[in-house]
Amino acid sequence: MLQTPVQPTTQLPPSRHEFAEIIHRLEAGGAMLPDTPENLKQIIGIYKAYAVPMDFYWRDLLYIAERVFLDPTPFFKYFLPPEYLDLPNHYAGDDADLRIWRGEADAHPELRAFLETGELKRKLPRLLHHLWHDRINMEFAEACMQSMFWHQEMGGRFNDFLDSEAYRQNCDRAIKAYFQGNPVMLGLYKLFPEMFIEQVRQRSYYANLGLFWEVMAPVFFEMCDRYTEGSLTSVPEAMNFLVDGIFAVAGRPIYHHVYIRGECYEIIPKSQGFTWLYEAALPYVEAVFYRVSPFRGTRSYNAQVGQVPKDQRDFHYGILYADIFPVGSAGVPPTLLMQDMLHFLPEFLREDYLQHCRGEDDMLIQLGVSFQRSMYCVTSAVIQALRTALYYPLDDSNPKHLEANRRFFEAQLDRFKRPEARLGDIQRQDYR
Amino acid sequence: MLSLLIWLPIFGAVVIGLLPNQVSALRIRQGALAITGIVLLWTLGLVTQFDLNNPGVQLQEYFPWIEVLGLDYSLGVDGLSLVLVGLNSLLTWIAIYCSDVNTNRPRLFYALVLLVSGGVAGAFLSQNLLLFFLFYEVELVPFYLLVAIWGGVKRGYAATKFLLYTAVSGALILAAFLGLIWLADASSFAYDSLLGQTLPIGLQVLLLSGILIGFGIKIPLVPFHTWLPDTYVAASTPVAMLLGGVLAKLGAYGIFRFGLGLFPEAWAKLAPWLAVWAAVSVLYGATAAIAQKDIKRMVAYSSIGHMGYILLGGAALTTVGIVGAISQMAAHGLILALLFHLVGVVEAKVGTRELDVLNGLMNPVRGLPLISALLVLGAMASAGIPGLVGFIAEFLVFQGSFAVYPLQTLLCVIGTGLTAVYFVILLNRTCFGRLDNAIAYFPQVTWREKAPALILTALILILGVQPDWLTRWSEPITTAMVAAVPTEQAVQQIVQVSK
Repeated sequence: MLQTPVQPTTQLPPSRHEFAEIIHRLEAGGAMLPDTPENLKQIIGIYKAYAVPMDFYWRDLLYIAERVFLDPTPFFKYFLPPEYLDLPNHYAGDDADLRIWRGEADAHPELRAFLETGELKRKLPRLLHHLWHDRINMEFAEACMQSMFWHQEMGGRFNDFLDSEAYRQNCDRAIKAYFQGNPVMLGLYKLFPEMFIEQVRQRSYYANLGLFWEVMAPVFFEMCDRYTEGSLTSVPEAMNFLVDGIFAVAGRPIYHHVYIRGECYEIIPKSQGFTWLYEAALPYVEAVFYRVSPFRGTRSYNAQVGQVPKDQRDFHYGILYADIFPVGSAGVPPTLLMQDMLHFLPEFLREDYLQHCRGEDDMLIQLGVSFQRSMYCVTSAVIQALRTALYYPLDDSNPKHLEANRRFFEAQLDRFKRPEARLGDIQRQDYR
Repeated sequence: MLSLLIWLPIFGAVVIGLLPNQVSALRIRQGALAITGIVLLWTLGLVTQFDLNNPGVQLQEYFPWIEVLGLDYSLGVDGLSLVLVGLNSLLTWIAIYCSDVNTNRPRLFYALVLLVSGGVAGAFLSQNLLLFFLFYEVELVPFYLLVAIWGGVKRGYAATKFLLYTAVSGALILAAFLGLIWLADASSFAYDSLLGQTLPIGLQVLLLSGILIGFGIKIPLVPFHTWLPDTYVAASTPVAMLLGGVLAKLGAYGIFRFGLGLFPEAWAKLAPWLAVWAAVSVLYGATAAIAQKDIKRMVAYSSIGHMGYILLGGAALTTVGIVGAISQMAAHGLILALLFHLVGVVEAKVGTRELDVLNGLMNPVRGLPLISALLVLGAMASAGIPGLVGFIAEFLVFQGSFAVYPLQTLLCVIGTGLTAVYFVILLNRTCFGRLDNAIAYFPQVTWREKAPALILTALILILGVQPDWLTRWSEPITTAMVAAVPTEQAVQQIVQVSK
């Protein structure tokens, strides 16, 4: 089902952009995703299915950044200890800094149940579940982290700080404390200090992404609850909820603390003033949604020496561009995310998938396409949030302001003119 | 006992044809399946009765019929016909199984298929030339109707072309049979009574030529092949399976039974040219297949090439070569039926057979992975990859013919290489590559569609690793046929005497 073409609601003449209809929709306060009940059902269902593994991702990312740190044999880094499952989310529970989700602050009950018995629904030693791949696949989270790490200059001051002297000194203290009493590792550090510091930089991105997703998980849970209650009834409402959430937590500090023998080492202290919006959310969206892996099978790049191309057109695997089919059959990380989400699909979405295409057999693909839709909704929220922050209200009476808004929207949508972009596909309801 | 293989399907065809309109297509299909299932089981029973050490005709049945015409109802089975009767029973059952449940005009469709089955079985079992001809002609009109009514695009043209070619084929065969009776001054069309004919070699060559061209049209061999691509492509999947799997083998059977069997001296004289003819067919079929853009047409052309191996095996006049040729009849029947079925499934699901459109069907989630995998296996079998039934048949043919006709054999070996070429093209474009997600909403392949392919694949694999189960039936009769062929010196003497 396609919705009626959106006419420009501003005083401006119709846009002549390739995606004029979508631009008019954005100018009317809508999203890039058409506002249909089917789309709303898909994106909300996926948000919920995404939020549960995400609840694991952020906890484990912080665990790796804060506790595993530079363990040279991190075989058990995906084995989350109970204290990290109990770690209170700052945006849920009674003691939240800002209560976004009305649920509890510790790990989601469905996540706990899954960690207990897995897909097998049998309680076996944790290692067996892990080796059987009956687990939350942290590889996806790490791929996102690496993507942010590779692309580096995606906005904010975070990456610049990683090359500063202050950061090196913080790293030095933490590394020496971590390997205290280990002359081999300390000797190696003496010989190859850059290698160790580069590893700490990566851990800093673990922390960055963990803190970013700590916010997103309760946002998605709350959206699902509101949809189920009937208080979230349209795609623009969903997008606006995200926009409101972005502004509500925009100033949340981004930091990297490491805990060694009970002592906290501030690799990136909160006092640096890094914020959730500029140092985490925007780089994440740019790196993961628009770019992801720079490896296209025929070339590889050395990220450390800045070889990763700057041009976004060199990347095809950002979720807004990725072809779900080859991804689905190639076993690369997004496949693992789909597998994770499959475990936590809400019943209404599972029923929907069963009635389309090949039902159970290609549910992963349907789910991947829904995920793509939902991420276009998130991207819409980011675009609207940026417009709010940098440009003018949609109902501004000044035509010049509206013209500036339009130029901004058109510039954003220029990025989807490439044939790989799925923007055109998600306009069709039969794209599944 | 043998009569049941003929008359049960024909009787079933009559009953199904007379069923009232209220009977659903599903019921009719089930009835046809039951009938052909009984025939298949009966054939298996026949196999258990067959004496492997006896090269002669077994399980004979005889009733005098129109003695003044020399026509009697004489049936029998030997190692040559047993394999093909089994193939006919199996493929007919599979063809009915994989027919559309909602076939239009089901009574007529299944009646015609059963009629074909009975007619072909009758032809394989007949021990009287005229009786053979009657059964041979029985399948003509049913096949014409099966193509003309249930075929695809250009079905009318294809069916008419098939009818004309087959009619000419029948006329030539009848003329050769009548010529033989007249020239040999025989009083009966009984096969046994004609075995010892002593016609001059020139007349033998003439009559053999009629038989070769007549059955060569049916196989078909180049240059009498032009009806085949059109008919195979236009025919629905079950009919194409029967055309390629059974009807073509009837032509090959005719050449061996009546060409080699009745005119061994002339056969020996023409054998070098037959080997050349075989090589030309093989190379032409393979190169023409490479040029195709339609996968069904490609498979059809591959059939022309593969039938050339049968002629090469026969031309070699060695036991191994002829055993290989007979094995090739069965192997090719199984492989071609599998390929046509798989191509039919691909067309039904994807909606096209065009090589330039198909892509990525191996995709495990949205493609046709099992069908693609079986297509790979079918292609490998057709290309003569060891471990599959196609290999042993082609290997025996080459082994038997190389010592006699090394050049022609080498050309045919090159044809095998070309088979691999066009199947690699087919597989590369159809199964591999990137599945276009704009079109990849194919329906799932059901178990009903998978089952025939799995049965055929199992047979291809089993007979590939245990070829003795295929070759042992025809060894005694083959040895006897080769022994009946005079040596080159004897042929020269016959030629001298004739002059």
